[in-house]
Amino acid sequence: MTLIPEFQAQRVFVEPWTTELGSHGLMALVTFLVGATCGLIGNFLILRRMALVGDAISHSVLPGIAVAFLITGSRGVGAMVLGAVVAAWVTHGLIEVISRHSRLKQDAAIGIAFSTLFALGVVLIAVFADKVDLDQDCVLNGELPMIPLEPAVRWGGWVLGPPPVLRLGVILMASIALVAAFYKELMLSSFDPGLARCLGVRVGMIHHGLMFWLSLTVVASFEAVGAILVIALLILPGATASLLTDRMWPRLVWSTVHAALSAVSGMHLAVALDCSPAGATVVAGAGWFVMAWLFSPTEGMIPRRWRRRSAAIDSRPRSSEFGQNA
Amino acid sequence: MNPEKPPAELGVPPLEIHDLTVAYRNKPVLWGVDLVAPAGQLIGIVGPNGAGKSTLIKACMGLLPCASGWVNAFGKPLSQSLGRVGYVPQRESVDWDFPVSVMDVVLMGRYGKIGLFKRPGAEDRRIARECLEQVQMLPFADRQISNLSGGQQQRVFLARALAQESDLYFMDEPFTGVDAATEAAIIALLQGLRSRGKTILVVHHDLPTARTYFDWLLLLNMRVVAFGPTDQVFTSELLQKTYGGRLTVLSEVAEAVGAKAR
Amino acid sequence: MASLTAEAAKIGDLTQTRWTEQAWRFVSLADPAVRYACLGTVLLGIVCGLLGSFLVVRRMALLGDALSHAVLPGVALGFLWNLEKDPVAIFIGALVAGLAGSATVSLLTRTTRLKEDTALGMVLASFFGVGLCLMSMFQRLPTGNKSGIETFLFGQAAALGPGDIRVMGSVALVVVLLLVAGYKEFLLVSFDPGFARVLALPTVWFERLLVMLLAFAVVSALQAVGVVLVSAMLIIPAATASLLTDRFHRVLVWSACLGMVSSLSGAFLSFLGTRLPTGPFMVLSASLLFAMALLFSPRQGMVPRWYRQRSQKIRIDHENTLKAIYQVLEAEEFTGETVTVAALAARRRVAPAAAAVEIRSLVSAHYATLSGDRVALTPSGWQRACAIVRNHRLWELYLTHTAQIAADHVHDDAEKIEHVLGEATVRELERRLPRIDTDPHGRPIPSLASAVAGQPASGGASDRPLGYGGRS
Repeated sequence: MTLIPEFQAQRVFVEPWTTELGSHGLMALVTFLVGATCGLIGNFLILRRMALVGDAISHSVLPGIAVAFLITGSRGVGAMVLGAVVAAWVTHGLIEVISRHSRLKQDAAIGIAFSTLFALGVVLIAVFADKVDLDQDCVLNGELPMIPLEPAVRWGGWVLGPPPVLRLGVILMASIALVAAFYKELMLSSFDPGLARCLGVRVGMIHHGLMFWLSLTVVASFEAVGAILVIALLILPGATASLLTDRMWPRLVWSTVHAALSAVSGMHLAVALDCSPAGATVVAGAGWFVMAWLFSPTEGMIPRRWRRRSAAIDSRPRSSEFGQNA
Repeated sequence: MNPEKPPAELGVPPLEIHDLTVAYRNKPVLWGVDLVAPAGQLIGIVGPNGAGKSTLIKACMGLLPCASGWVNAFGKPLSQSLGRVGYVPQRESVDWDFPVSVMDVVLMGRYGKIGLFKRPGAEDRRIARECLEQVQMLPFADRQISNLSGGQQQRVFLARALAQESDLYFMDEPFTGVDAATEAAIIALLQGLRSRGKTILVVHHDLPTARTYFDWLLLLNMRVVAFGPTDQVFTSELLQKTYGGRLTVLSEVAEAVGAKAR
Repeated sequence: MASLTAEAAKIGDLTQTRWTEQAWRFVSLADPAVRYACLGTVLLGIVCGLLGSFLVVRRMALLGDALSHAVLPGVALGFLWNLEKDPVAIFIGALVAGLAGSATVSLLTRTTRLKEDTALGMVLASFFGVGLCLMSMFQRLPTGNKSGIETFLFGQAAALGPGDIRVMGSVALVVVLLLVAGYKEFLLVSFDPGFARVLALPTVWFERLLVMLLAFAVVSALQAVGVVLVSAMLIIPAATASLLTDRFHRVLVWSACLGMVSSLSGAFLSFLGTRLPTGPFMVLSASLLFAMALLFSPRQGMVPRWYRQRSQKIRIDHENTLKAIYQVLEAEEFTGETVTVAALAARRRVAPAAAAVEIRSLVSAHYATLSGDRVALTPSGWQRACAIVRNHRLWELYLTHTAQIAADHVHDDAEKIEHVLGEATVRELERRLPRIDTDPHGRPIPSLASAVAGQPASGGASDRPLGYGGRS
């Protein structure tokens, strides 16, 4: 066996869409759903400079999930969500306590809170390994390859797909509906919380609602891509979109496009290299980001350099234009 | 005020700026600044917000990239004569929660003279204590810097610049957010330095006091509007040109001042 | 999981042992594997503590996080070198990846409008994704699972070998030597980089050196703490240290010590079980120390601060009650020596029950005695009451006299100031005021010298008619 399998176009590009549609196609669908949902929220996190709060919460839901497992003894979705939301709240509270009652700044507070909780989660999983149906590998990689193996949900003769796909689909739809409903409030409270408060927007409610929705999304995505890679799907689509446009609506659309592109290309990459599909999706997403970084018409490095060179030929206005009527 | 005073080196100006242009993201902030500063003077840099006052100082110190032009100090490019140049940055430029004492900060002014990888010695400590004494901050030497008021922080920065023992000083808004006592103490100190033949450039934003504080004034609004002895430059016409029609209050000040001068 | 079991089995061949035996094996240091583990954790604690201090004071805690995740592809490539755990190859690979990660962050923030937090998060996640891909590819290899690359994720101190110790030891030596030699420069570059450039220090090089040392720290801690939690070992001990002291050299020393203690105790705890990863236990020990410092640090801690506030509040309550008693006595022109609880409650404008509580508190502080419903001040209570009334009235006098504030505006201010006026300030007030016998409202100011136990404020003040006048 070699490290990189021999490249076969048939296996890499055709089979996932024909004979392997049920497994690889479904995996791409799951990563798309995760990426699109995370991307939507991620755009607002980036706007509010809370990218690393996403990081923190994606780490710190782990003990919540582990405790939920220990108590219920099963992978009940309700218990997991509850555990994760509680853990997210605890993180939030710890960050507040540390940054308010000591001279440490927000960054150190975030770092301390989430790594402590994450460590607690790993310890719980390791100590109660025989009682918890989770292992450390799942924490990092998710269980993407397992999803197609779950029995599909049927409804009146229709095959709807495995439960995680349905859950993620519902969460994506709900995210779109929520963003559409609260678009105005989200924008205003992200851009100018002071004005928003004056206009009667419940800024605190919006913030906590966003945090709640974030932890929900993280839990749902956890199963698919694992705790650490969630952060990639939270940030990469939004960051890529922000290089392509400077308006919010197009950003949301672009981030969805990015999620779709990285889901499909990540799946092909995973097949080609025979590696972790979650990791491959992140690598593909990072690749698309680099493309936008280099070639974006407005922000890209290469168009900008080219423009600068052509602009350098005559850039200095005559001195009479300045000073006198400035 | 007293041009007869012997300059630090005969014939060589302490500061010479030629055609300095600075741009942020392709937008020019300073255009073609030419300046030859006289030795042994207290020079104020005034102009409206966004006129590029701090930018000028930062560009001189090499903290911002210049699009064109050069800056010489004592006849050599400024980067080669940094040992003779002192600097007081804006107070907000550092984190005042940093775990250092007042003494530590003032000793930093000596680092250029001490040399790489060497420890500050007894002599450096003595000089640092003297500088603290000059700004009346010696009793605070062992305090952590977050326990200081705004005026005290500014005095610490000033003491640090004094510890550099330079011949040319750049000070970025040393009077912002300080109490009246500190402002008076600082200006007395600057005048003391000037009388020892040092050249000091101070960014200042308060027009009425600028006239009494400084010997020379640089009126700046993206380019040099005027540069000369205060009594020649502080005229309603030139101030109008610097501040444009934007601030009528200022033009009234200038007129009143002009009337008084006449 | 399988590989973790394998690593644990390497130390002792028993996979199930009693924890007391394990503890003894750890403490006695008889086993060479335990000795290596201890030495390694001590070294990593020192290195991480030292470098983490810079992250914390420069508010760059999240750079440590990004850097530590970004080394994973380098670790994987280091394995690829000869498909086994070669400490030097892994060290070099991880170092290169870490530096590439930090370079990418600075390139991103310079060339795009992405904010630093976004750039850090992206680099962290993307590099980590690449690393996971590479690792999952190794696992297919026949040798892959045995190579122990998985221990790099959550750490396994027991897997440290002599080669690792040599690498960690040299890293620690380099870090300590450089920090001792360049302490002054690193301090200035961290505190005020602009000023450092003005002093013609090679600021950029020191910045690079610092990132390089940081990458050293991350990489040398990888094996024992794991990629995922290295950043915590950088930040938490340093954050704890910065709660304990406010001088940078002391932060460095404290942080190194705390790092050492928490990594050693983490290694010990993880050793008690059979398949436990080391990293999370080290982080939890560090967090425990942090929580202790947050709560009990003498100057900054929440409990001492709360206690100080509470005792100050009790003191102010006492003083207010004493003042009220004095005022009641004064209203009776000091004819009696005791006041009733009811009169006091009326004066304080509180319910009699609340006044009774206040009086019990005074009695327990030996400021007053209670017999029936009448309160009498003890000598010390009398002295205290006079002092506080004197403070109040002196301050009112000062405000009206020197600050030219109308007499009916000074009372509320004096209510607050009276509790905080120190001895020296009172002297100063006495010196500055021309006349200190009556306050602006015409009431006499009690003097301290004449405050004899149980006696009304004498010195003549109360005998004379109230009002302005008298001696100047």
